[in-house]
Amino acid sequence: MGKVFVFDHAKCNGCRNCQIACKDEHVDNDWSPIAKPQPDTGQFWTRIEETVCGQVPKVKVSYVLHMCQHCDNAPCMAVAPDAVYKRDDGLVIIDPEKAKGCKELVESCPYGAIFWNEELALPQKCTGCAHLVDAGEIPHCVDVCPHEAIRFGDEEEFAEELAAAEVLCADRADDKPRVYYLNLPKRFLAGVVVDREADEVVIGAKVTAENLDTGEILVQETDDFGDFWFKKVDEAHWRLYVECEGYLTRVIEASTVEEDRNVGPVYLAHASLFQG
Amino acid sequence: MAETKYLFVEHERPFTYEEDGLTVTRGSAWSGPGCHLGCGVLLYTDAEGTLVKVEGDPENPYNQGRLCPRCLGLPEVTNHEDRLKYPLRRARADRGKDLWERISWDEAFDTIEKVFKDIKKESGPEAVLFMQGTGRDIAPYITRLCWSYGSPNFSLFLSGVACYVPRVIGLAGTFGAFLVPDCSQVHPDRYDNPEYVIPETIFVWGNNCVVSNSDGFFGHWVVDLMQRGSKLVVIDPRVTWLASRAELHLRVRPGTDAALALGMLNVIINEDLYDHDFVDRWCYGFEELAERVQEYPVDKVAQITWIPEEKIVEAARLLAKSKPATLQWGVAVDMTKEAIPAGQAISTLFAITGNIEVPGGMIVPPEILKYVGGWGKELLPADANTKRIGQDRYPLFASEAQPDCIVEQLESGEPYKVRAAWIQTSNFLSCMAADPQRLYNAMKDLEFIAYVDLFMTPTAMALADIVLPAATYPERNGIRLGDGAQRGETINKVTSIGECKSDMEINLELGKRLNPEAWPWDTVEEMFTFLLKDDTGMTFEELQEQAPAYPPFQYRRHEKGLLRKDGQPGFNTATGRIELWSTFYRNAGLDPLPYFEEPSPGPGATPELLDEYPLVLTTGARNWSMFHSEHRQIKRMRALHPDPIIQMNPKTVETLGLSNGQMVWVENQFGRAKRKIEATEAIDERMCSTDHAWWLPEGDPESFYDVFDLNINNLVQWSPGKSGFGSNYKTALCRVYPVDGRE
Repeated sequence: MGKVFVFDHAKCNGCRNCQIACKDEHVDNDWSPIAKPQPDTGQFWTRIEETVCGQVPKVKVSYVLHMCQHCDNAPCMAVAPDAVYKRDDGLVIIDPEKAKGCKELVESCPYGAIFWNEELALPQKCTGCAHLVDAGEIPHCVDVCPHEAIRFGDEEEFAEELAAAEVLCADRADDKPRVYYLNLPKRFLAGVVVDREADEVVIGAKVTAENLDTGEILVQETDDFGDFWFKKVDEAHWRLYVECEGYLTRVIEASTVEEDRNVGPVYLAHASLFQG
Repeated sequence: MAETKYLFVEHERPFTYEEDGLTVTRGSAWSGPGCHLGCGVLLYTDAEGTLVKVEGDPENPYNQGRLCPRCLGLPEVTNHEDRLKYPLRRARADRGKDLWERISWDEAFDTIEKVFKDIKKESGPEAVLFMQGTGRDIAPYITRLCWSYGSPNFSLFLSGVACYVPRVIGLAGTFGAFLVPDCSQVHPDRYDNPEYVIPETIFVWGNNCVVSNSDGFFGHWVVDLMQRGSKLVVIDPRVTWLASRAELHLRVRPGTDAALALGMLNVIINEDLYDHDFVDRWCYGFEELAERVQEYPVDKVAQITWIPEEKIVEAARLLAKSKPATLQWGVAVDMTKEAIPAGQAISTLFAITGNIEVPGGMIVPPEILKYVGGWGKELLPADANTKRIGQDRYPLFASEAQPDCIVEQLESGEPYKVRAAWIQTSNFLSCMAADPQRLYNAMKDLEFIAYVDLFMTPTAMALADIVLPAATYPERNGIRLGDGAQRGETINKVTSIGECKSDMEINLELGKRLNPEAWPWDTVEEMFTFLLKDDTGMTFEELQEQAPAYPPFQYRRHEKGLLRKDGQPGFNTATGRIELWSTFYRNAGLDPLPYFEEPSPGPGATPELLDEYPLVLTTGARNWSMFHSEHRQIKRMRALHPDPIIQMNPKTVETLGLSNGQMVWVENQFGRAKRKIEATEAIDERMCSTDHAWWLPEGDPESFYDVFDLNINNLVQWSPGKSGFGSNYKTALCRVYPVDGRE
């Protein structure tokens, strides 16, 4: 039966227990034939990366798990089919005997999940704690997660959730990774609408965002702080129309292609200023 | 005292058992290394008695099987090759040099005993200081050692004792007791307790609690409550994970929390949103408070705090309508000079909105053993109190000597000369001391300094004559009765390293030499039983089997006469009410009402300095893998945070012609410290934020492991608030320039 990891981005607060538990399990412990010991530093079989996105004052902090994706079409297996194998449960294992000297495996992994052990002349990575799984337990990183942000189990068990899940790199879906991600962050597009003359925010202004790449239209009203904040939008070029009764409509353009976007204050002028 | 009927959880197994060839021992994680919490742990030892693994104890309601990296990495600390394993001695003339010789415990104790007894005879016991660090598990024992020896001078080298104590003392003066957020931690059945109510809104104020795990508060509780529907309001200059998920994030300018609270009080009072019934029945001085808050209109507060007016108003309204609302507050409140009125203003918000002693609100933490006040004050001769350093200037200091006054007295020798110091678990030259080079100079000519710790530290290398090796918590027995809501827990010995002794053993053995009558116990376990017996009726050994033990808890104790010794309804204050206008402060010659003073230097107090020092600096950002000055030598922990960091906004970095990852000096008019830039949008362009307590265990011992290059407190002054409590550790002005640039 196939095992999968499921990482819920919404639940991870970045405590790094998984990183340290991985060290606890694999440093100084020889789990041959599954894995040789992991060095104390220099390798992160499991690692949490912090992302700070947006621009002051609209900023979000979040964390994403990076580890071996235990791909069904693993690029590392393609490079060294004799040294890397897939277990019946789907976990991908670098055979510590056969992979000796296979430094090319490090480069083969598009996820940066394989590390070179200079001392042992060995490529190494997450084993999914296969030695624990074989004993009927769960991987150590999963066990220590305070909020079940990382879970592990039979694919069937998670079937419903997996329908909404994504893979870490959308363009690498063909690798068929066995690590699934829930609630991965999307881009946001945000700003604040301000009456320049009164130096006050404008509440209830209508903000229309037009996706210039797809034509998609999103509409919001500014909240009690004059803010609009479109969340989970595409990476795209946008045109924003900001309208409010008594003010001249403003149109600005913004991009979320490279990063989340806080367009900052959008200043509205009173329509009356331009009459007569 | 009558025996109380404690509540317990059911245990599947005895507190120690065999599993897969390892011995598993249940217990509590109380330091060092690590924090103040006392999470339930399972310690795994092998046939040789080596600690090989630590897991969270799923049976313990406190952390429910969860831990943080610091306990998961515990074996790396306990078994570290650099641990101090034997007592060491160094000639006084060689202070600062790496010239240690191993001695026996007897030699060490003989020396200390002789010096302390001689000084007592010649100059009086007050000439010896007894200093501890953060609230590691030594407060009861070091205070007893100090007081039974006869010295009134127990304290810590932290300007204004600016950590936790200002809030504790401050609230003692207004509420008659400390207050903690009710996250159901008082109930063994936790969130399922039928009386418990999930807070509608949690104010996380001045701490990143999922990282810091401070003062008996397990940060993940906030996440548990978010999952059960609590909304968050986060008051923090930085964007954190919690702030990212908050209903409202108030990005307060460092050091202006009191102004924010007063502004919110202004809204709640002027919009008539306060709890009239609670205020009428249980609060004293509301009229005076209502008058005071008129000085803090929202537009003025917005200017002071950098928080938009609308958000201040919204936060105030949200607090007023949330039933219940609670507050998880942190050290940022203490680390400002006027910490007492800041804590007073913030706590007042929760009083006038009726969130005191209600389920899911703010509760008086159950107490089994008094913590902050120490143990055995009655041993101190009555006239000794008059010799407590600083008591004449700061009457709020009833137990501790005032640290800033100690530094002055070390320098001046007035009114009497300090001759020696006993320093236990405090690496103050890297961590808590303000202006560490000033303190070093004040200390370096003392006649004698004895020092107790886990590792060699910059402080020991710089100053100590005798160093004693302390045990980490898996190497000792103990009881966990610390801050926050207390419950009976035991710390259980499972391993031994070298000749290390626990802090309590050291204090007991030395105590017996200095004043045997005050230390009538043969073993520390007998001493623990003595401490436990009164309130719990249990011996140490019985508690080991049964812990955790929960004292039965009731809400609304003020209505039932359970908060006052005289059994009357009300709060334990002079008026029996929550004193919004504090008679206690008034009697101490302080302003009885909360107020805000601009932190100085700062953009409000000293705008003329902004040309030279354009950025507001806050210090002490916490990291997952390090507790204060600990963990720097633990490779896997250090790998998570290898360098001292200064976080700056990318625009600020660019404007200053600097780059991400660059080594810089952070400098103000008092000193400078080295940092590595981390450019992040989590920081406002007008400020920067840095971590603290850095030293390099891999560095040169005789340059004190580079501590004077790295210690951010080079920029902090010994300068307490009017009450003697609070100091500006988290608010300063600075400039930043490349290390290889202008020197």
